[in-house]
Order: sequence, then C-alpha cells, then structure tokens
Amino acid sequence: MSTCLKLMNKLNCKLLCLLGVITFNSLAQDDQSAESFKIHGFVAQGVIDVDGSNFVNDEDGLSLELTEIGLNTSYKFADDFRFAAQAVYLNGGNRYNEGLRVDYFLMDWNAYSSDKWQANLFIGRIKNTHWLHSSTRDIPFARPSILLPQGAYFDGFRDIAMGGDGAALKLDYNHDEYGEFDFNFSRGKSTINSDDAEVILSDLAQGNIEHDLDSQVSVYWHPVFSQWKFGLTLLDSEFNYDGETRDFFVDGRFVFQFYTVNALYEGEEWEFTTEILQTRFLTEGFYSPQFHQDNLGQGGSFQARYKVDQKLTLISRYDLFYADKDDKKGYELEKLSFGVVPSYFGYQHDAMLGFSYDFTHNLRVNAEYHWVEGAARLNPIVLPNPLVNNQERWEMWAVQLMYWF
Amino acid sequence: MVIVMLFGSPVTHAVDVITNISADTASITTTQLRRIYSMRQVRWANGVPITIFVLSSTNTIHQKFCKETLRLFPYQLDRIWNKLTFSGMGVAPTIVSSEKELIQAVKSTTGAIGYIENIDEVSDVNLLKIDE
Repeated sequence: MSTCLKLMNKLNCKLLCLLGVITFNSLAQDDQSAESFKIHGFVAQGVIDVDGSNFVNDEDGLSLELTEIGLNTSYKFADDFRFAAQAVYLNGGNRYNEGLRVDYFLMDWNAYSSDKWQANLFIGRIKNTHWLHSSTRDIPFARPSILLPQGAYFDGFRDIAMGGDGAALKLDYNHDEYGEFDFNFSRGKSTINSDDAEVILSDLAQGNIEHDLDSQVSVYWHPVFSQWKFGLTLLDSEFNYDGETRDFFVDGRFVFQFYTVNALYEGEEWEFTTEILQTRFLTEGFYSPQFHQDNLGQGGSFQARYKVDQKLTLISRYDLFYADKDDKKGYELEKLSFGVVPSYFGYQHDAMLGFSYDFTHNLRVNAEYHWVEGAARLNPIVLPNPLVNNQERWEMWAVQLMYWF
Repeated sequence: MVIVMLFGSPVTHAVDVITNISADTASITTTQLRRIYSMRQVRWANGVPITIFVLSSTNTIHQKFCKETLRLFPYQLDRIWNKLTFSGMGVAPTIVSSEKELIQAVKSTTGAIGYIENIDEVSDVNLLKIDE
C-alpha cells in the first residue's frame, strides 16, 4: 500500500511538473513582446542501463530513472533590478535525491555598466556558475552529454555543489586587445536534508549534516577573437555532522576544497575541453572520535566533440579520478579498511563515446556508452557499498530525448 | 518618410545591423558588437538599455550574421545565452520567428538591436556602420 502511494506521489509530481512546463510554454510563446518578463523551461526523459554497479539503482537492467524537468522565470522590475527563479524536478535513481528543488531564487542588481565594465550583485539562492559546466549540469540540452564527468561533477554532491543561499558578485571586463575577463565570487550555504545525507553518507547515518558557509572564486579569460577560453576556480567549504545518541557514526567535521583549471577550444567543427582538478577532503571524527584523514584527490577530463553537420555531433571523453593522489591504486584504502573496502574504490576512470542529434532547434536526442573502471564516485561515498559494487569494471549506456523553450 | 540613417559608408556585410533610433549610435566595432551579443554590454553609450532580437539559431540569416559579422559560431552564442538563462545570471535575447517580425520589434522597442539581410526595404531604423 505504502509503495503504491509513493508511486502515485512520484507520478503526480512528474505530471504537475509537466503541466507547469506545458502551460508556461504556451505563455512564453504568446507573450514574446513582454521584454521584462521571460519564461524558459525543458523536459527530458531517458532510459539508462547500468551493468555492474549501483550508479543508478541496486538492480541491473533498464531504468527510466533519467527524468529532468525545469522551469524558470526572469522579471526585470526596474532598470537595474531583476528577479529570477528556477525550479527543477529530477529523478536519477541513486545519483541524487529524487524530487523537486529550487535551484535559484535571486535578486540581480546591475550595479555598474559601461562598454568596458559590468558589475552585478546577486542575493538569494544562487546557482554555482564557477566550473565549466556547473551552471548547466542538469540542463540536458546545455551540457555536452547525458552524464557529466563524475570526477568534477559527482552527482552525489549535486545539491551541495549546485549553489546555496547567500550572495555572488560577477565582474566582467572587456579589453580591446587582451580580450574578455570574468571574475566571479560567491559565498553561501546549501541546505542538506536527511534524504541528501542518506545519499552521500549511507542510510546508517541518523544524525544531521550541516553545511557551513562556503566561498568560491573563478576567473575566466577569453583572448580577443580567439577560439580558446581559459578558467581557474577555487572552492573552500566545511560541513559538520551531529550524531544522534544511537547512531552508527559520531560527531564529525569535513573540509572540502576543490580547485580546477580548464581550457575550452570552440572551432567550427571541432571542440576540445579539458578540466583538471585537485580536491582536499579532510575528515575529523565521524567514523570514531579520534579519526583524522586528510586526502588530496586528483583528476581531470579530456573531451572532443565533432560536428558532422548542423544536426549531428559526435562526442568522446576520458575522465580520470583518484580519491587520494598518494594512493592511486587504492591499496592503502583496502589495507586501512581491513580488506572491507576493495582497492578499486580508490579511483574511477570513465571512457565515453556518444552522439547528439537535433531534430529541430529545440528537440534533441543524446546517446552515449560508458566503460568505467573503479568505484570512487559511487554513492554512498562516505561509507562505500562493496556488496553491490563488487566489480572493478562496469559499463552503462543511456539515451535521452529532450525538448526546451 | 524614409528615415534610414546612414552614417558614412558602412563596410559591406552580407547582413546589416539595425537599431531602434533611440540607440543614438552611428557606428560600432566588431568587438563591441560581440560584447553586446554575448550580453557583456547591456547599455548604449547614452544609457539606454539594449534589447536584442535574434532569429532562431537554425536560420540562415542568423548563421551568416554570427559567422561573418560577429566572427562567432551560432552554437557559441547559444551556449552563452543558455548559461545565463538557466543559471539566473542574465537574460538571453528574444527569438523572433521571421525577419519581418524582427524589424518590427527593433522599430517599436526602445534601445533594440537586430539584423537584416536587405536594408533597402526598411525604414524608421538606424543602420549601424561596422568598423573593423
């Protein structure tokens, strides 16, 4: 009975989202002249088949848990002030918590504007726009593939990495000879509910995890008339876990720092992207009161896209991730866990091939195949599950149809 | 009365850039035009907010304008606009369905900018001279 009710709630949620998108799509088309008020949205449904891991669910086989629906609005209520908000419904199985969320809900103040400089201050719930794909990570048609490289865009951290409640400053500078410079700074905190905690920590965690203020900075440079763009991003965040009296875990503190450098080449037919990362993950307590671990992880992805014609684009990517750069094979991890956690939980590398085909300017299908080695980016990441993820090598494929307006 | 304002002899482009007469700008550089279309310049020199109208990215006039005038590929602009639209950090241009609709929108919207293939048939707009 309760399973049936849960299923009905899920279906109702999806139907409501779809109805919302269809209604607002009509409004958006009817009211093109209302320049101060904009509505956009998207609907995407796919099938995904994972063989050999719990990336999407604990059972092998075809799954429809690849749904993304979103709706956003922007309303300019004064010359320099604008309100913007976006809600999304996501279902990705074990990848993140299924349901509705508000991605951003903010006030934008265009504080200064000239032909060279532009300064904007955003206050409210801000979306992370620092990394190469962070602002479009769950916008199906605006990201390069159905699944993003998990080294940098680990789905388990999606809701934490998506942004938070706080403020952001965006500064654009244009130089006639040296090109365009973007400077972004944000400070905020994300809300982590018990379902998010379960996805990241495991269902054994009875306590609460809280995100303290995090700070992020990014700088981008686009040389004048160049096909290249370069970026540098820095993130510093802290989390605290308050254990319950009868809890598998004790109080703990996590520090997560994340640095990336990226380069993007945008040619007429070829496009190349690389994003190199280093993470610092400090754990104090949590497993036991005296526990202390300070790991530096490393990784990076290399991606090539080729536009065959206006409709068809081919994509290939290799993504590497090491949870601890001093234990790339994971032997120490296995030793420290007395053999409970296999060494392949120390890394995750993913080779991917795929394509996208545009039927019209706002209807596309994406398809891709992944060959994965390792399990370092499988939920729950804090307490790995080697019983389900009992293979070093696993594979998956996905096809997703998407519409947007 | 035909008020096509020609300021000097514009560089020949397959696609011409037009603005609403309120923009009060006679010429523009390609770099400036790129800034406007990538939403990095949101006001004209006289302080009037810029409103951009474009055709769909699959339209051949839009493709010509991107490649020949802006020296950008249409997908690069789509990417910038999608990033702004779906992160809440900005507003993308308004897409209109035909060149006729685009001209009408530029004529009637203060601070508007757009492009057309045949300037001879258009009145009451400002034709921009594009300096390299």
